[in-house]
Amino acid sequence: MTQVIRRIAPIVLGVLICLSSLGCNVIRVSLNTSLAPEDVAFIVPGKTTLSEVVANLGAPDSIVDSDSGVVATYRFLDLKYSRINFGWLAKPWTPVDPDLIFSRTGLGVDAFEVLCDGQWVVRQKEFLRHLIRPPFYPYPFQRSGRSAPDELLLGTGPGRPAIMASHESRNDRSRSVADE
Amino acid sequence: MRIARSIYALLVITLLIQGCAFSRGTLGDDIKSDTVAALQKGITTKDEVLRLLGAPDRLLPLNGRDVFQYYRYDAKAGSLLLIILNFSRLSVKSDDLFVILNRDGIVEDVIASKRTDALAFRFWPFGE
Repeated sequence: MTQVIRRIAPIVLGVLICLSSLGCNVIRVSLNTSLAPEDVAFIVPGKTTLSEVVANLGAPDSIVDSDSGVVATYRFLDLKYSRINFGWLAKPWTPVDPDLIFSRTGLGVDAFEVLCDGQWVVRQKEFLRHLIRPPFYPYPFQRSGRSAPDELLLGTGPGRPAIMASHESRNDRSRSVADE
Repeated sequence: MRIARSIYALLVITLLIQGCAFSRGTLGDDIKSDTVAALQKGITTKDEVLRLLGAPDRLLPLNGRDVFQYYRYDAKAGSLLLIILNFSRLSVKSDDLFVILNRDGIVEDVIASKRTDALAFRFWPFGE
């Protein structure tokens, strides 16, 4: 009996693996290279110039004028899409073409903005929003809390989303590291 | 024997590339490095910039100066279509050139980067 189970086990495992990947699509779209806080840690407001930023990060995607100076924006996107069609399981046995599709898209869009004064010296730097890298996870009924850590969603102060506070503290940390 | 091996190799390669798809899309003209190098700060005039690069894709007023923006987008998509399991990856990168002209119409600064050189066809959607 044990020998039979040992022989059948790899076959069952193989079938399960094949079944789990039936009708599966995994797609990823990326626009430019994603920037992380550590990538922009070298920028020290009041010291770093736009030329130094460009030398490290390349040309920005846009430069616009503002009352207090010039804003250079770096945009990037990391989209992840996954889809499973469980209807494939029934295809061999049904005359119709059934579909039972679970899919999910994570649109990780973000931008990094640098505000410079008239002398092209960086005055402020900030990400537009916190980019939470979306996982390949086709189950659509899960709360988005799975991809966003709870501490980012709960808020830490009056009228202030934690997502901003977390980002600021991270940038402060970057600044202190750069200052050192 | 050698011919048989070659046929087998060809057969294996043919089987391996089955279900592969390559797609590419571009937007805008190529921004040539030597053209960018020809733009000299404090010397090149607006007319020369227009003659070298053509009309800009975008004209921006910036801090009392004019900025000519030129861009080019390149997209490469690779797909591995295994009928029941498909992987696709689309990568888009841009080349950007900003030519900053002072009030006299002379080039004050040039900001350029060429990201599309490092753009490759990729299939595997996981990882970086």
